[in-house]
Amino acid sequence: MSSGEHVRIFEVTTKDLEGLPDSRGETVRSMLKTDHGIKVDSVRVIMGYQVRSTISDAQAETLTYDLFADPVIEVAKTGSRILDDFSEAPEVAIQIGFKPGVTDNTAQAGLDGLTTLFPEQKEARVATYRTYAFWGVEGTVSPSELAATLHNPMIERASMSDRNGCLKGHWPELGFPDVPPNIFKEPTTIDLEVSDKDLLEISERGLLALNLEEMKAIQGHYRNPAVRAERTDQGLQSDRPTDAELECLAQTWSEHCSHKIFAAKIRHVDKTTHEDTTINSLFKTHIMQPTLDIQKEVDWLLSIFHDNSGVISWNDEWSVCIKAETHNSPSALDPFGGAITGIVGVNRDILGTGLGARPIANTDVFCFGPPDYSGTIPRGLFHPSRVFRGVHSGVRSGGNESGIPTVNGAIVFDERYIGKPLVFCGTVGIMPRTLADGRESHVKTPKPGDVVYMVGGRVGSDGIHGATFSSLELTEESPSSAVQIGDPITQKKMLDMILEARDEGLIQVITDNGAGGLSSSVGEMAELTGGAKLDLGQVPLKQAGLSSWEILVSESQERMTVGVRPDDCEKFETLASLHEVEATAVGEFTDSGAFVVHHGQTPVAHLPIHFLFDGCPQLNLESEWSPPTHLPVETPELDEKGMGKLLTRLLARPNVASKEWWVRSYDHEVIAQSVIKPFCGTNHDAPGDAAVIAPIQGGTQGLVISNGIAPRYSDIDSYAMAAASVDEALRNAVCVGVDLDLIAGLDNFCWPDPIESSKTPDGRYKLAQLVRANRALDDVCRAYRLPCISGKDSMKNDAMMGGEKISVPPTLLFSLLGNHEDVRKAVSSDFKKPGDAIFLVGETHQELGASELAFMLRDEGSGGIGGAVPEIEPERNMTVYRALTSSMKSGLVSSAHDCSDGGLAVALAECCFGADSGASIDISPLQSDCSSLDVWGALFGESLGRILVSVRPTDKEAFEESMEGVCCHYLGQVSEGDAISVSRDGEKVLLGSMSEMRDSWKDTLHGGGL
Amino acid sequence: MMTPRVAVLSGFGINCETETMAVFEMSGAHADRVHVNRLVNGDLNLSDYQIMAIPGGFSFGDHLGSGRLMGNRLRFGLRDQVRGFVRDGKPVIGICNGFQVLVKMGLLPGDKEVSLTQTASLALNDSGHYENRWATLEFDSKSPCIWTAGLERIRVPVRHGEGKFVTDDPTLMDKWAESGQLVARYVDPSTEYPSASDNILPYPISPNQSWRNVAGVCDPTGLVFGLMPHPEANHSTWLGATWTREDNEHGQGEGLAIFHNAVSHLMDA
Repeated sequence: MSSGEHVRIFEVTTKDLEGLPDSRGETVRSMLKTDHGIKVDSVRVIMGYQVRSTISDAQAETLTYDLFADPVIEVAKTGSRILDDFSEAPEVAIQIGFKPGVTDNTAQAGLDGLTTLFPEQKEARVATYRTYAFWGVEGTVSPSELAATLHNPMIERASMSDRNGCLKGHWPELGFPDVPPNIFKEPTTIDLEVSDKDLLEISERGLLALNLEEMKAIQGHYRNPAVRAERTDQGLQSDRPTDAELECLAQTWSEHCSHKIFAAKIRHVDKTTHEDTTINSLFKTHIMQPTLDIQKEVDWLLSIFHDNSGVISWNDEWSVCIKAETHNSPSALDPFGGAITGIVGVNRDILGTGLGARPIANTDVFCFGPPDYSGTIPRGLFHPSRVFRGVHSGVRSGGNESGIPTVNGAIVFDERYIGKPLVFCGTVGIMPRTLADGRESHVKTPKPGDVVYMVGGRVGSDGIHGATFSSLELTEESPSSAVQIGDPITQKKMLDMILEARDEGLIQVITDNGAGGLSSSVGEMAELTGGAKLDLGQVPLKQAGLSSWEILVSESQERMTVGVRPDDCEKFETLASLHEVEATAVGEFTDSGAFVVHHGQTPVAHLPIHFLFDGCPQLNLESEWSPPTHLPVETPELDEKGMGKLLTRLLARPNVASKEWWVRSYDHEVIAQSVIKPFCGTNHDAPGDAAVIAPIQGGTQGLVISNGIAPRYSDIDSYAMAAASVDEALRNAVCVGVDLDLIAGLDNFCWPDPIESSKTPDGRYKLAQLVRANRALDDVCRAYRLPCISGKDSMKNDAMMGGEKISVPPTLLFSLLGNHEDVRKAVSSDFKKPGDAIFLVGETHQELGASELAFMLRDEGSGGIGGAVPEIEPERNMTVYRALTSSMKSGLVSSAHDCSDGGLAVALAECCFGADSGASIDISPLQSDCSSLDVWGALFGESLGRILVSVRPTDKEAFEESMEGVCCHYLGQVSEGDAISVSRDGEKVLLGSMSEMRDSWKDTLHGGGL
Repeated sequence: MMTPRVAVLSGFGINCETETMAVFEMSGAHADRVHVNRLVNGDLNLSDYQIMAIPGGFSFGDHLGSGRLMGNRLRFGLRDQVRGFVRDGKPVIGICNGFQVLVKMGLLPGDKEVSLTQTASLALNDSGHYENRWATLEFDSKSPCIWTAGLERIRVPVRHGEGKFVTDDPTLMDKWAESGQLVARYVDPSTEYPSASDNILPYPISPNQSWRNVAGVCDPTGLVFGLMPHPEANHSTWLGATWTREDNEHGQGEGLAIFHNAVSHLMDA
């Protein structure tokens, strides 16, 4: 501590004013009750700021109400504790603050505010805490139980005071979170001339996640005489890697970065058909090839698979891009931090596409354990309700604070996601087709000699080993350094600056620093020019003393790597300083054929580009398919009212229930472009299908964004799962009137480890599931002419906790980005008026296997989930979709809503919610699709390709005409009043109250409070 | 007069500048994106503009209270430019986070001296969290506010976590009501105009449980105006919450009139 430096504490809480509640406290009270069943009478929250600086008493006085507290609605103190001031001492007081080194965005803002007032305080440091004071705590609840609900020990510290302590005024107190100094470790080398067992030991000990064959490939490289000679010239030890080199290879070759399973050679055996084939890379065969084939027929596929996101041409002036990623492992360890880092991270993928695209829409899809799960949670994991709340809060902060609307999403629940939640964050971006200097913005143009800049945040010890860690299963020993907290404001400033730089023509090449940090970002771009050199000594650090390899691989957030022509560097730096963004030259692109790293004068790494990117040996894997067996679905005997009640219960299932409470807290309208929003209907509470946005202000050409996800079907056949995901995404897009001639997709696979081993004895089956899902993707995307333009896979979604292994169900999220020719013709899902005619388009079959109904009946105690899963007929569906979208263009369709979870019955109820109306339909006509169709199949089956439509009575005939030749059944009418009624062959089979159904649908996932 | 120039502030987490510029352009003005630091470093001068707009967003992440840190940047870094602008009788609008900035820096509800003293605040919504939902606003026909002149009601989205208008001196509420400064209020859309009331309407008609249902206020001159909802987000009919249920012709959205008003005020002067 320098002379005169001291830590001063400022505390702030809500002022006692009539009509001004302490809403922070009320939120905690409500959360405790909703998520943990803990009752307390009242909670007060005190914000604390610890300021280490040389400020005087007078300056502290100024800071109190000019910075830390709002003089109108808050009271503040410096030098003493607000806990002393409550007329009745609290029963429990708990103070929570971050652990040293964890990103504290509020503190960072506080420091910025401090230097606005007192610019000379540049060396000051700020930390924050929150103190919670409780009254009327249920007798059995201990302070430590309360504290456990309020903090995550992986990143936060807690101090508490019980009843006795509070009475004596012994308040909880956390010291300033000083980061212990890093001890710089000189670069070392690793001797690989050891036994195979020791090679594996090196990999495991270093968290490198490399297998024996890969370690041996590295060993082989350093035995090469030419390599040794080159290394001697470079001043490096010739026969062995440095720690930085080994780390860099581990990052680049990680499953996370190089997708080894999708690139593997697979011997696939099918026990039912006796097929025995070899597949050379699932990615090349089933994802890339169909897209390349479609690319021959269309002119709008601009950039596929190789950049940070896929780019398509939207019109002559603009191109658009889309990318989705998962952030599963970090979200399991710290739901808030993992999720916020996920969303701001995928935003950077868009910013790092081409020469820089502007993110304009986010989509979020989450898979969690059931929020009401009452079983035991393995040690080391959080209860699903807590994961849900944390992830939601992270994505909310990340999206809202970045000014990017969250326009679409889904939340799926299954007990197996308790082990690892899936957190898919997707972003759509837009960029001008050409820049003022004539360059096409989707093409990167780096040249040897361009200067490498690191822009944005600094490098710290946080985020070391994220890529390799996510390539391993989750265990109790998983490192906390893999958890970070995103900082949307630092990123927003950088984003504003980068887009200005792009428009001024200052950017030659750009990519984000995500997994693998600088080693990946500079390494990947070096591939474009054929080399790069990097000086780690130039890299700005959060704290001194980081070792060379740590600087190289740290995944500290909010950083882009940009290549700038030497002549443009001054302009680039001036722009950065205007935006208060740090931009530092750290290296240079070359054509030397190698990625060369120094730390000051010390050589640290010399890796030939071809070895770095092509040296990883291909995996050889075995896959074997034999279908699983399940008990069949057992349906009860019910009268029409019983069926009504059953539908009411189905609507309350978390997978079906309204997510409004959660979705409302995402900004879905910033940028003034949202045409079809997440909610529609007269009370703004009916669920939308796809999102439609009109991203050019005042323009009427639109973009459609939708998602499909159906992991339930994997329990029977992952082919059906993948087919259903793709169809759901397209079906949703069709519901709003997408232009079927300009649609592109994204595949995001989240699988349990499919490599057979002692830990994964069923690896062959899981790999066969992957093969089948890929084949479905291939078949359906070709038939829909829906090219995948980017994608991602996460292949280790298992948790091993206390000896118990939990694997996620094989899950494919399919996201779609499409054109909309005129948003004024877009259609929403809500029924419009009583008297409107209701139609079902698409064929219904007896397909109840693994349906939401099957799971509900099983959970209620009868039968299993076995039976036929929806079979896809994509050509037939496409004919229906074409007829329907063209009917929409003619203005004949009043509403359209897709049939998915819960089938026709759920879709019908949801359409009624939007109109505050009832409906009366007759499902007899559906029997012409399928002779074995029973009431259950008709109402709750989830056959693909079906959309529930309503049209004005005056348009009924014209609509029927427009649908001629495709399957389209007239079912009945939207009705006045509250009754939803279904008949079949003259008999009433379902009768229920719409408003009761809506209450039930809204209640399950209500998050508490208002 | 010639086409008014609008300084639409940007930077530090402001994020509605694109649509805010668009609505001024649609209303016949010329809008520039002006990074706050370009005014601080002298690249640009506020006095070259006729309107200043502080758009919505999350300046500085809303940390330490929404609008606080941006308010301080303006209050301490641009004090003279801002006071001069307002004293020159030029219109100013703050939307959402921009409104929070104007209130925290004391420009709203404000005083004749433009003393930059904070007298009101925007507290956390009673719900305790951020929400995006649509609301109906009603304007005080007796208000001096030039931005809302002649308008009765509009439908707009609210998108905020801290929008509950309060003050620590309840007599001020009467004073501001008297002077027509409590110009925009949440109303129940099923009632007839005018129906604005002082009794707090139920959630979610009043999304934040603001005192007297206040959604926006103006200064004593009526030239400085701020509001929590986003009129710029309803610039075209197809951006409405329930437009697919309505048979109206497509065209300008209900929010655009506010910006037209300010531009006309200058053009007709």
